[in-house]
Amino acid sequence: MVPADSAANALPLELTHRDAARAGLEACLAQSQYLTGSAGFTWRLASDEVRGSEQLSHILGFEHAAPLTFALILTHVHPDDLPTLRAQIEFARSEGGDIAQEFRHLMPDQKTVRYLRMGARRLRDPRIQCDYVGAVQDVTELRAAEAALREARAQLAYLARVMSLGALSASIAHEIKQPLAGIITNASTCLRMLATEPPDLAGARETAKRTLRDGNRASDVITRLRALFTRKSVGGEQVDLNQIAQEAVHLAQSDLNRRRVTVLMGLAEDIPRVRGDRIQLYQVVLNLVLNAADAMGGVDDRPRRLSIRTQPEGPDRVRLSVQDTGTGIGAHAARLFEPFYTTKTDGMGIGLSISQTIVESHGGRLWAAQNEGPGATFCFSLPSAPECDPERRSPKRMARVSRDDRGTLGLGL
Amino acid sequence: MTTTCALVSVVDDDESVRESLPDLLRELGYAVQVYTSAEEFLASKAARDTQCLILDIFMQGISGLELIKALARAGLAVPTIFVTAHVDESLRLRLLEEGAVECLFKPFSDTALIAALHAALRDGRLN
Repeated sequence: MVPADSAANALPLELTHRDAARAGLEACLAQSQYLTGSAGFTWRLASDEVRGSEQLSHILGFEHAAPLTFALILTHVHPDDLPTLRAQIEFARSEGGDIAQEFRHLMPDQKTVRYLRMGARRLRDPRIQCDYVGAVQDVTELRAAEAALREARAQLAYLARVMSLGALSASIAHEIKQPLAGIITNASTCLRMLATEPPDLAGARETAKRTLRDGNRASDVITRLRALFTRKSVGGEQVDLNQIAQEAVHLAQSDLNRRRVTVLMGLAEDIPRVRGDRIQLYQVVLNLVLNAADAMGGVDDRPRRLSIRTQPEGPDRVRLSVQDTGTGIGAHAARLFEPFYTTKTDGMGIGLSISQTIVESHGGRLWAAQNEGPGATFCFSLPSAPECDPERRSPKRMARVSRDDRGTLGLGL
Repeated sequence: MTTTCALVSVVDDDESVRESLPDLLRELGYAVQVYTSAEEFLASKAARDTQCLILDIFMQGISGLELIKALARAGLAVPTIFVTAHVDESLRLRLLEEGAVECLFKPFSDTALIAALHAALRDGRLN
């Protein structure tokens, strides 16, 4: 039996213990919040009052003693993120559901921007004096690391593209020298025609016109190449894979001729366009074409044949495949897409890895398969662009290339 | 201007060359035939009448080098001026050793072409 006076003293003692335990728990919570860059809060809908720990004030950059409301928080949110966060708050007020949102928060110094992730859950316990309990986490470092990773990937992709163009330097020089040859020959002829007695003005005019045309042709080659050398990324374009296939083959054509590679084009009619970055997708196709040519470098007992096909894949995807009659992928299949894995003596092994990253960033996939006969086929498929009105589809004239002006043979599919 | 009217055949898959070179050759006094590919030239059976062949080396299908071999197998040795946009000095030397009159890298001057044509037609006369 506990003495009466002892019982009278027990209650304050118990409270003291409980307070101490609670204080200890709160200290642990504060430490864990500090370590994770997060803070808890409560929110009362009627008054818009937000209550939280000192850590919450620290994350938001506000004075801890100052009253805090979501209305005040909204005044510091990045304008681009404001509509969605405001919609979340309205949703909480009207529907009472859980909310989650990431937003950029302008600190009171008006310079620093922090990336904050916020989540809150509705409480329906009458014993608790708030409507929502939530947490805010500062994810600025994470976003900065992601941005640095994106930048590193973009730089690597750019490096790979420039390397591809380096490998094609002879082909590029060829593309420019052909019209230059026309310009010089036309100009020589023009001078000779003007030097005759009487001058052949009609002939001179004709050669001058051809000089202009060849000059424009050389200029067009340089304009197209400049786009490939640019570092800038443009997303969200409507991209015609047939056109990309044709341009990539055109650029590599003289190199392919030199390597005795015959190109067969089987471009499906009227395939939907895809949405993405034209230069990046061009880079992927060019990489696959050059890889295919490399794979056939040692082939002398059969035709070196490179086939490019496009075709619809299901109702809402487009597939592009590059098939060769080379040495095949054999034992390398499992490691083909690993960065810095290469079977070439002069390759860095980043082309396929970057191509895969590019294709996946477009919501697609890239894969390779051994042919039934000699060689391998590399394919990628991409989701078609949502809007596919007739003007945004690949023009029919692009399809069924039977034999273009460069002698490229068609598959006649 | 040359007073001869020798037949010069141009085989090149590039449109600029196919359109510009014949006018210059005609201006120099030659008769000219133009072909877009080695296959087209072979099919034309113009080889026997051709006194000088201006031939692109790297073309789709049968290359310029293969065309010369095919002509040689048929017993035809047409004086040939190779033209190419790929600068490859070792290839040029090899072609000269194998009997080519000249190998010109595009773009080439009219004086270089005229010198090569004179050499080709002199070779042809010797043949």
